[in-house]
Amino acid sequence: MYRYDEFDHKIVTDRVNQFRGQVNRRISGELSEDAFKPLRLMNGVYLQLHAYMLRVAIPYGTVSSKQMRMLAHIARKYDRGYGHFTTRQNIQYNWPALDRIPDLLEELASVEMHAIQTSGNCIRNVTADQYAGAIADEIEDPRIISEIIRQWSTFHPEFSYLPRKFKIAVTGHENDRAAIKLHDIGIVIVRNDKGETGYEVHVGGGQGRSPFIAKKLTNFVPAEKLLAYLEAVMRVYNMLGRRDNSYKARIKILVHETGETEMRRLVDEEFERIDASQMLSLPEAELDRISAYFAPPNYENLPAQSEVFEAAKGSNADFNHWVKTNLVPHKTPGYGIINISLKPIGGIPGDATDVQMDIIADLAERYALDEVRVTHEQNLVLPHVKLDEAKEVYDILCAHDLATPNIGLISDTIACPGLDYCNLANARSIPLAQEISTHFADLDKQYDIGELKIKISGCINACGHHHVGHIGILGVDKKGTEFYQISLGGSADEQASLGDITGQAFTEDKVVDAVDTIVETYLNLRQPEERFLDTYRRVGMSPFKEQLYAD
Amino acid sequence: MPTKTHLISNGAVIDDTWVLIDDETPLDDTPAIISLDRLKAEADALRSRNAKIGVVIRTNTQGKTKLGEDVRELAPYLDMLSTIAIDFPVYRNGRGYSDARILREEMGFEGELRAIGEVLFDQWSFMARCGFDTFEIDASIPVEKFKEALNELSEAYQPAVDNQRGVLWRRHGL
Amino acid sequence: MAQHSSKGARFQAVTANRLNDGEVVYFKDNGWIENFAEAEIADGQEAAEALLTRASPDNMEAFILDPYLFEVSESEDGFTPVSVRENIRAKGPTVRTDLGKQAEAG
Repeated sequence: MYRYDEFDHKIVTDRVNQFRGQVNRRISGELSEDAFKPLRLMNGVYLQLHAYMLRVAIPYGTVSSKQMRMLAHIARKYDRGYGHFTTRQNIQYNWPALDRIPDLLEELASVEMHAIQTSGNCIRNVTADQYAGAIADEIEDPRIISEIIRQWSTFHPEFSYLPRKFKIAVTGHENDRAAIKLHDIGIVIVRNDKGETGYEVHVGGGQGRSPFIAKKLTNFVPAEKLLAYLEAVMRVYNMLGRRDNSYKARIKILVHETGETEMRRLVDEEFERIDASQMLSLPEAELDRISAYFAPPNYENLPAQSEVFEAAKGSNADFNHWVKTNLVPHKTPGYGIINISLKPIGGIPGDATDVQMDIIADLAERYALDEVRVTHEQNLVLPHVKLDEAKEVYDILCAHDLATPNIGLISDTIACPGLDYCNLANARSIPLAQEISTHFADLDKQYDIGELKIKISGCINACGHHHVGHIGILGVDKKGTEFYQISLGGSADEQASLGDITGQAFTEDKVVDAVDTIVETYLNLRQPEERFLDTYRRVGMSPFKEQLYAD
Repeated sequence: MPTKTHLISNGAVIDDTWVLIDDETPLDDTPAIISLDRLKAEADALRSRNAKIGVVIRTNTQGKTKLGEDVRELAPYLDMLSTIAIDFPVYRNGRGYSDARILREEMGFEGELRAIGEVLFDQWSFMARCGFDTFEIDASIPVEKFKEALNELSEAYQPAVDNQRGVLWRRHGL
Repeated sequence: MAQHSSKGARFQAVTANRLNDGEVVYFKDNGWIENFAEAEIADGQEAAEALLTRASPDNMEAFILDPYLFEVSESEDGFTPVSVRENIRAKGPTVRTDLGKQAEAG
């Protein structure tokens, strides 16, 4: 994992002090709310329905046990005993008092964490594949370039007042778990014919009111030139992005209105100018320095097969189920990647209590080479666990309601906080996730249905990724009452697609029935080995629509 | 926008000897800041004029097609300009930061670069890093406070127009 | 964001959030209280506007954020907010009844 040097410490500490000054000026009345709002937003502080909300960055979704313990401590000391992991690999606290946030940030800084640029029209927290460094067939650990991007984008003087927010995601694997085609910039690490590592850059993806799949602007940028290329994209956007209408201000609209070819030409032209100065050519020594932090940890030399593990699977059916859904093969023989579901049946997607966070920190320290990952699907990961010890980890997870065997299944729902917390929401999201999960609680049923990703947003901003849900649910407000629009066929992976709306919206009490109808229709239509998404892509909307709106 | 402003240039309050002249008013012998349109239309006459000339770049937000004026259009006139004022219509509109870097780094402009419009406390340091040396700000803000704001963040990761090379490079003595 | 009052709204109250902790507050007798049940209710559009004016003097801005009117309806048990949003603000998250005002009232 990356560790701060004195520069990183200084930058984060300066920021805490600066924010403390801003909060003091606000509380004393020297700053008006109008002047203060953009300042607090630049530091992840929102005013929500019941209280302030603080979003803490978890860069590329990686935390150490020490950091996870701090997240638990903050939940206890400054909040109400829990935190909410988000689709951007961040954690949100729902109840901190404004006047205590500077102290909170100071504590965070002591474990090399911050809330810098978790909001505002700037470059946000960089996200990456949660299996980085642990999965086989990875070209390069995406966290190396993510950390470089984190540093380059932090307090970037030119790009802190962009037309709109800006999100960057990185994957180093052909299976995209970071939804890179739905980001303002999505980076895929590739290898060219000469065997050199470089970056494929996709630009202009996004969700919200007008969803778009990103366009690939270049097949290959070498490592030392990536920052120059990113700066070129950012400058074209900052110069030409629309500022007249906030719904049209994201780079996806610029790419759409400018056209892919012209956008590529503009970026190439800007890149040539920036690259000519060599100012942004990344020193090899710095690339090496940061790479060293992500060198493979000291794995033990183990046989690929673990007898203890196989025996446990044989004697314990629940463990065996859990292994099938929640444990992913590791690149190193004798190790596994363990997914911790934050989607207990009937629970709140992404929420974890302080006690659970402490337990996960302990597990990471004891069993997972001191690392935890956050996934964009609002679950956690212990990336390097010995198969010999998987059952011990499982038993402890079970004792704390953290072993729900449902990763990728219908009850592994993404949901934004929705109208239960969020000031922008039109409708609640969490209760629907709970109802759906409870309705499909039977695990045998869930296994029979197979991979099915439901994603729920409480408003058109699409924090719950409804556009890319196999089944997407969008809450809308009709005269103070909640309605829900359903879409089918979305996907956030390497074959990204946007869902199609089924038709008229449903009232809250009809949503579970509608989902049930969709699932039954799929089960009746599917061919052997077909997942929901495959069936939908083969048969299209009509059979689903017919069943949904039959009477 | 503050009603009364003062001008801070290179860390000191200075008298503003410049006058912003609209397109209809004839120019006299005082240093004048004019619009880009006027500069382009009257460039030949202005070259022979016996007083300093400056230009204001407007960063409009209105309408889809009006993105704001393009600083690159200043290329043929740079040698005759003593000051370039970049207008920030609202603090949220950060297009002027790119304008400034383009002028300094790409076009090599070495004259005065002033930030006008909504130029607030928490933007000054970023503006300075992008190449602004002169700031038109609320007259009630003393120069000490301005300097304090510039030093709130003492390190920067990335290179910009100021002398900082960026921590990513400085770690290696570059 | 949802609309807070319909055009023909009869009863309305004024709400805001408090600066230092973000707590939901309601206007009553030239001050702010935390409990919706005690909020001052305006009958008719004119009274509502007068209430909002009283709730928004310049010196309030320092510690009260963005006061606005929202619609309430009268029932046997007194007044309740009309929209789901204002009901949630008045009580707390529907998915965590152990938190927010509903918990304190408990």
